[in-house]
Amino acid sequence: MAPLGYIEILDPKGRVSVRHPIDAFPVTIGRGYTNQIILDDPYVCPEHVTITQSEMGRLVVDDLGSVNGLRTADDGKTVKNLPLHSGGKFRIGHTTLRYCTAVTPVAATQIDRIDLFSRLASPYIALAAGVVVLLALALDFFLANIDRVTVLRVITEPLVAISMMAVWAGIWSFVSRIVFGRLYYAQHFLITCAAMLVSLFFNESSEWLEFLVPNSHAVWAASVFGSAAILAVSVFAHLSYASGMRWTSRLYAGLLVSMAVIGVSAITEYANREKFSTVMEYSGVVKPMDARFLPARSLDQFMSRTAPLKKELDQLLQKAQTTQR
Amino acid sequence: MALAQDKQTTTPDIFRQFSEHVVKIEVVETGSAAKATIGTGFYADAAARIVTNYHVVSKLIHSPERYRIEITNTGGQTSQATVLGVDVVYDLAVLHAPRAHKGFLQLAPIQIQQGTRLYSLGHPRDLGLTIVEGTYNGLLQHTLYPKILFSGSINPGMSGGPTVTQAGSVVGINVSTQGEQISFLVPVERAIALLERTAKVDSRTAASFLPEVGRQIHAYQSSYLAKTFVGAMPTLALGPYELPTKPAPFFRCWADAVRRKDLPYAVVNHDCSTDDYIFVSAEQSSGIVRFNHQLLSTGELNPMRFFSLYGGQLQAGKIGMIGNEEEVTSFRCETRNVALSGGKVRSALCARQYIKLPGLFDAMLRVAPVGSRNAGLISTLSLSGVSYDNVEALARRYLEAIKWRR
Repeated sequence: MAPLGYIEILDPKGRVSVRHPIDAFPVTIGRGYTNQIILDDPYVCPEHVTITQSEMGRLVVDDLGSVNGLRTADDGKTVKNLPLHSGGKFRIGHTTLRYCTAVTPVAATQIDRIDLFSRLASPYIALAAGVVVLLALALDFFLANIDRVTVLRVITEPLVAISMMAVWAGIWSFVSRIVFGRLYYAQHFLITCAAMLVSLFFNESSEWLEFLVPNSHAVWAASVFGSAAILAVSVFAHLSYASGMRWTSRLYAGLLVSMAVIGVSAITEYANREKFSTVMEYSGVVKPMDARFLPARSLDQFMSRTAPLKKELDQLLQKAQTTQR
Repeated sequence: MALAQDKQTTTPDIFRQFSEHVVKIEVVETGSAAKATIGTGFYADAAARIVTNYHVVSKLIHSPERYRIEITNTGGQTSQATVLGVDVVYDLAVLHAPRAHKGFLQLAPIQIQQGTRLYSLGHPRDLGLTIVEGTYNGLLQHTLYPKILFSGSINPGMSGGPTVTQAGSVVGINVSTQGEQISFLVPVERAIALLERTAKVDSRTAASFLPEVGRQIHAYQSSYLAKTFVGAMPTLALGPYELPTKPAPFFRCWADAVRRKDLPYAVVNHDCSTDDYIFVSAEQSSGIVRFNHQLLSTGELNPMRFFSLYGGQLQAGKIGMIGNEEEVTSFRCETRNVALSGGKVRSALCARQYIKLPGLFDAMLRVAPVGSRNAGLISTLSLSGVSYDNVEALARRYLEAIKWRR
């Protein structure tokens, strides 16, 4: 026969440490060996409380005249007796107890993230990804550097970058450890590597776009939203292994973080543009390509851009004259 | 020996005879009573008008509410002066002080020979009135407007002072120096002309001179830029390019090359600049036209790496020009890929406007041809204190002058 219910002894964090099945009432609880439930808490009396069932089937906890009394679990108030419902808690001495029956609801099942990606995320694959990123960073460094460079120098800077990435993945793993009790380090590191590779590719592409189509608002917007998307997706992916959020919440979190970053940089950009400066901000990107394929304006078209430039300078002049007056 | 004796007898005489007509000019900040500028001037006619340099009194003209002019004669008496007229192009100004003065220095155009001994008077670095000997070395040949080369030491503070012959006749007005006894004078004819067209009494406020300064600069820059990058001009072969050089006789050009063993690329520089410029204010001048061709080439770097260098050098020009918020606006730029007759270039045009002299601009045009895999050129034209029409006209003429060698 199934028990009527369970008395659970909870640890300070609220987790169940011992669970006693109850087959009949009354149940006595205390430090003495005469009790059905024996507690090792020195602040509990040998015979502390008894749980009895009324004829109506209601349960009541009664204090048996203990030294430290019976307390409610929520606010710690001392009471003589306490009605006990399914899922209800009470405190004696330093121990919290809970009574549960078949009708007590349990928390939703947590998802164990052992999916296809997790099976791929073995330490070997993470290591291989690290090597790929290292090579990509080294190539990028080599192409951007115009001195005669040694292999050691080409590798050193990317190694520093890889170490930073490892630390970044480590911080996420720490969060995973707290939330799930598992590190998921390989997963976090793979996500970091993927974000880095995509960023490298994206930066190079946006430079080419800026070269092909200079002064274009569309290219500018694409590069801003591209970086934001990379950031949002990587936050989303990290959160998948570091939080129990639903996918929509993770998406919102990712978007929120990237929007915050865009917002801050947009404000800085705007403030810098409004501030007086003697520096000329033009786009000096050039790339090696056959000039035949480079889209270009005619000289007349270029010279026609000087009129809007003059208009901007007249607006700046007007603003300067009003503020100086 | 005769010359030495001559020198011993005449210099003290000249100082004794003429120094009383020379005054110290100070531009004083009204609030703090701090001296902002120190210069020299001299009485130039019977109406007791004083001639000095425009740059000595320019602060007052730009901010009349903040400054006043004080003149001190050799007797140590001080009075406040007003501006009667300016000639920005020749860097001259005519002042008037209420205190009466007897006598003046003779201003007359005279023919003198190279090597003639001249005497310059002034207050170098506020150390008291000084007389400096030197020689007349004719008019400068490569400048758009004539300047006298005076071989003698003119120092800051002597600006606006007279340089006279033994007879006391003014030959020129001290204006600038390059050090090492190389000094420049404004020919006296310009001072005579300015006195002729300037009123004898002051009827204008200092503030009303600013638009006049603007008009004079406008007229000046349009006259000399009309002759720049026009018609047949010499070209320079640099790598695969054929480029303009010395676009007018008043330009000077020079070149240098960097070929260091430790660098995997080579740089050749060719610079041209006008010597003529006019002083607008302490941080601004007008009429300077400069251009620079920088050829980059490599036999060692692959195209991707070479273009990292090329792009980096192209961006490096983002270093600004000097200037402050009261005088100029920020720069605004336009960048485009442009198809010229011989090939395609990345081209950026940046400009800013003068706030106190609206309609005058500083501008920079930067051109970088694309298409070559191991050679690049960064060609930069900078203009200061020119009208927008001239920014456009010169940018166009400059771009048209860039050619490819076939």
